[in-house]
Amino acid sequence: MKSDLSINFAGIKFNNPVLTASGTFGYGYELADLIPLKKLGGIITKTITRQPKEGNPQPRIAEVCGGMLNTIGLQNIGVEAFVGEPLEKLKEIGIPIIVSIAGSCDKDYIDTAKILNSYKGISAIELNLSCPNLKKQVVCSDLPLTRDIIKGVKKSVKFPVIAKLSPLITDIAELALQVEKAGADGITLTNTYPAMAIDIKTFKPKLSTVKGGMSGACIKPMSIRSVYDAYQKVKIPIIGCGGIMTGEDAVEFMLAGASAVSVGTASLLSAKNLIKIIDDIENILKEKKIKNIKEIIGRVL
Amino acid sequence: MRIDKAVEIISNKNIVGDYFELKIKAGEITQHCNPGQFFMITAPGVFLRRPISIHSIEGSNICFLYKVIGQGTRSLSEMQKGQLEILGALGNGYLRENREERAVASSPIVSKFPFLPSPTREVEERDAKRGEGKAEVLSLSAPFFPVLIAGGTGIASLYFLSQRLSQKGILYYGAKNKKDLLCLSKFKKLGWKVVIATEDGSAGKKGFITPLLEKDLQKMPPVYIYVCGPMPMIDTVIKIAKQYNLKGCASLEEKMACAVGNCQGCAVKIDGQNKMVCKDGPVFDFDSNGFFSQVAQKDKTAMTTQGAQKRQKQKNRNL
Repeated sequence: MKSDLSINFAGIKFNNPVLTASGTFGYGYELADLIPLKKLGGIITKTITRQPKEGNPQPRIAEVCGGMLNTIGLQNIGVEAFVGEPLEKLKEIGIPIIVSIAGSCDKDYIDTAKILNSYKGISAIELNLSCPNLKKQVVCSDLPLTRDIIKGVKKSVKFPVIAKLSPLITDIAELALQVEKAGADGITLTNTYPAMAIDIKTFKPKLSTVKGGMSGACIKPMSIRSVYDAYQKVKIPIIGCGGIMTGEDAVEFMLAGASAVSVGTASLLSAKNLIKIIDDIENILKEKKIKNIKEIIGRVL
Repeated sequence: MRIDKAVEIISNKNIVGDYFELKIKAGEITQHCNPGQFFMITAPGVFLRRPISIHSIEGSNICFLYKVIGQGTRSLSEMQKGQLEILGALGNGYLRENREERAVASSPIVSKFPFLPSPTREVEERDAKRGEGKAEVLSLSAPFFPVLIAGGTGIASLYFLSQRLSQKGILYYGAKNKKDLLCLSKFKKLGWKVVIATEDGSAGKKGFITPLLEKDLQKMPPVYIYVCGPMPMIDTVIKIAKQYNLKGCASLEEKMACAVGNCQGCAVKIDGQNKMVCKDGPVFDFDSNGFFSQVAQKDKTAMTTQGAQKRQKQKNRNL
C-alpha cells in the first residue's frame, strides 16, 4: 500500500507536506546536485525585500545545545533581482514556489507583493512578520500593522497569502485568529525564538547583534504547542515549523494541527535530511496503515 | 563536484599535543579536490558539522589535519573506527583560473633569487583543465615564486597547496610554540625553504612570522602570496603586500552552518560587500588595495565601494 502524501493547502497542491523553510534554502536551486529538488513538497524562498539588504555584521551564527542561533538580518538581493534568474531557476524545478517577503512598513510589503504579482510561477506569498533580527520589534507584535500588511497584500495579489508568526506572543491562538480575520489564507507557526548566548572566554555575546533567533531540535516542543493552540481557534491551514529534524517530528506537527511542515535548520545540517523526512513520513503512515496523510492532521487525542 | 555521504575512517591519530590527523576513505571525490577547499564533517554530540580543510590527498583517501579546540573537534578526535558523514569538497580554493599568472604577468622575473629553491621557468599547461570533462584537479606551473604564510593550523591547507604547485617556493610559518610546528619535514621533503618563528622563541626567531617576511621581501623578485592563519596575521600580511605592491590570496575562516551558501551565516566583508566564506571563499584575492572579489572585478557597475573606487582611479591613471 502506498499512502497518499499530497496536501491541498489554501488551494496549492503539494505532492507531500514537506517544504523548505524560508532563509535556509537560499533561493532554492543551490542544492540541485545534492538532492532531487523535485521530490520536495514545495519551496519557501529566502525572504525578499523591496530593496536589497546587506544583512547583519559578523558573527551571525552560534551553536547552542541542540540547535543554533542566527542573526543574518534578512540579507537578500531585493525583489527586482529575485524576479530575474533566481525565480526562473526556481520555476524550472516544477514544484510549488512560495515567496517569503518582508519590509519595514506596510507599503514595503505591498510594493514587493505587487511586483511579484506580475510574474507567473509563484504559488503563494509568505509574509515574514516575525524576523527577530531587525532593529525594530517583530511586526506581528503590532496588531494594527499586521492587519494593514495582510489586508494590503491580499488586495494586491492574485495568489494565497500566508502569514509567518513569531512564537514570542502572549496568546498565539488569538493572534492567529486576528490574522485569519484580516484575510490570511494560511499561517506558518513559528519563526525562530529570540535568544542569546555569551562567550565566557571573552565575556562577549556570541552574535554581533547580541540577540538572535534560535532554531533546531531544541525548539520543537514549543512550536508544536503554538500549532496546537492555533489549530483550536482558526480554520485556515497551518504550516508547522520549528525544530523538525525527522519524519517523526513532522508527523508530530501534523497531529498537532499542521497541514504541512517547513524544514529549515535540518536542511542546513544536510540537505539529504529533507528527502529523509519525506521517506520517513511515508514509512510511518505505512506502519500505521494510514492511507491518506490528511487523516492525521489535528488528530492528537 | 560534491558528495554528502558516510565514509569509512581509516585512521584518526594524535600527532602531537592537541593535533590530530584524520584519514578517510573518500573514493572518487578525491579527483575533484583542490587545495584550500574543505569538507563539512559530522562530529558526534554537537549540532552543526565542522568545516575542516583538506590537508592532503593520498589516492582515494583524504587527510585532514586539525586541532582540538572545542567540544566538536574533541568528539571528532575520539572517533577511531566506523563511518563519518562528510559533505564536500566545498568552496573555492587557492588555485583559480590563471590567478597567479595574471598577478605576476606585469612583473616578469628578471633575476634568480639566491636563497630560493631554483625555479622552473617554463610555463607549462595545467595537467587538467576545468570544463573539458576531465577531473577538476588544478595544478599550477608558472614562472613565479610562491610565498606561503602559515599561522598555526593554517599550515594544514597550505601543505596541500605546496603539493600541487609545481613551482617550489618558500614557507613562512609562525606558531605559538615549537610543539605547534607541524609538517616541517614534509615541506623540506618537497624541497621548500622554510622560515620559522615562534611566539615564545622555542624554535626559529622569537615573535611573529610577519616581520621576517617583510625583511625578506626587500630582497625578493615578484612573488605571489598565499596566506592562511589568524585574521590579525592576514591583516598584517596584506599591509606588507601593499607596501611591496604584491598580490595574493588568503584563506579565511568563519563559523558555518550549511557551508553551501544557503544560510548566509559565514558572511565576511570583501571590498565592502558581504561575501560567504563557504561559497565565495574560503580563499579570497587581495592586492595592494586590500581584498577584492572576483565579481566586483568583472562587474564594474558593482564597484561602488571605497577599495574598488580606489582601484578604478588607479586603473584610470595607468591608462
